[in-house]
Amino acid sequence: MIEKKIYSRSCRIELDDFEGPLDLLLYLIRRDEIDIYDIPVAHVADQYLKYIREARELDLDIASEYLVMAATLTKMKSRSLLPTHRFDGEEDSDPGTELRRQLILYRTFRSIAEELQRNEETWTDIYTSPGERQRWSDDTAEIEPGQASLLDLLRALSSLSEEEAELAPHRIRRTLLTINECINTLDKNIVTGRTIPFGAIVGPEPTRSRIVSYFITLLELIRRGWVYCHQAYPFSEIEIQRTERWNVDS
Amino acid sequence: MILDRLAREVEALIFASDEPLSIQQLSEFTGSGEDSIQQALERLNTSFLDQQHALTVVDVAGGFRIVTDGEFGSVVSQLFEGKKPGKLSRAALETLAVVAYSQPCTRMTIESIRGVNCDSAIRTLLERDMIRIGGRMETPGRPLLYSTTKAFLEYFGLSNLDHLPRFDEVEELLGMSSAEIEKRDLFGSEEE
Repeated sequence: MIEKKIYSRSCRIELDDFEGPLDLLLYLIRRDEIDIYDIPVAHVADQYLKYIREARELDLDIASEYLVMAATLTKMKSRSLLPTHRFDGEEDSDPGTELRRQLILYRTFRSIAEELQRNEETWTDIYTSPGERQRWSDDTAEIEPGQASLLDLLRALSSLSEEEAELAPHRIRRTLLTINECINTLDKNIVTGRTIPFGAIVGPEPTRSRIVSYFITLLELIRRGWVYCHQAYPFSEIEIQRTERWNVDS
Repeated sequence: MILDRLAREVEALIFASDEPLSIQQLSEFTGSGEDSIQQALERLNTSFLDQQHALTVVDVAGGFRIVTDGEFGSVVSQLFEGKKPGKLSRAALETLAVVAYSQPCTRMTIESIRGVNCDSAIRTLLERDMIRIGGRMETPGRPLLYSTTKAFLEYFGLSNLDHLPRFDEVEELLGMSSAEIEKRDLFGSEEE
């Protein structure tokens, strides 16, 4: 009965309705009432290719498996049309044999899948106590040694990396010391008439950025002519003195 | 009908167990012989039936379980709303069928029978705990081997793998060469 229904709309069936090329082939074989043991290769190949062509015209994505089957069928068809040369001792190999085997195996499993589906249908309404409740609850049951699979491990790993992603990122803030701030600090610390060493300005155990900031500040002060610096020899302590101009300018 | 002590012990054990209990386990826990257990199970089911309980004892996944009657499916399902997974797709069912009969088997085996890529179907089945990775085949590439799980048997209400539909016939078919299959079509008369 179902067959008839499919038949009536056969021209417009989409490839999505099939579970692959074997499924489509079985459909064609059944539709045309072909004996699976006596498949007219040329006819089936034509029908199959017609189908693929139609799907193409509809701009459907055709999985590569369908195209492989199309190629196989075309090859089978061309072989069936050529006269066969038979050598002594060589058996006449039928290119359809392997395909038939595939079709029969697939048909078997397809019908078993249907039976399983009927079981699923029945058992979906049947509940047991308390195993399923555990399976469906969020917290998973305890796992005995040796019971965990590779998949469990991967799941655990991926859940771990998800947790990690939820942690707030740790921000490292850079404390900025502007030249103006430095000038203000120095203004208070350098008293007219007194000499102060650079080491005293940056303080004990200064950070690199503090040293750099104050050094640049010092260069700025020199440029403005607000300080007078003295260094006895390279890398020795820099002595700083306030000039009168600093007081005048500021 | 008043239930005897043994039948009630069996009832209590099955009810409280996480897993299906086998005849051997029931016999061990109650200290009674396997034959008496079998009879006790029958008495238990008769009593469930006589008193029109919503429960039955069934033989599933290698043991016995107390289950609700299918009739109450829609009522009970409310308990698991949003938690109960949906039905399996045709692709998943076909893949599962192949794994069930040819286990342990590789992805290649499944794909050669189905004629299509089975990656996503296999992933779904692993996630649903219907199949598991049982090891690797010691051939080049060491492909993963898949087997069905106990959850698979329970899901489909099968007592064990031998109770798969047409188990012997399919086993035989899988072992046949192309030429042998030529001579015999098991499902040739299939009409649906």
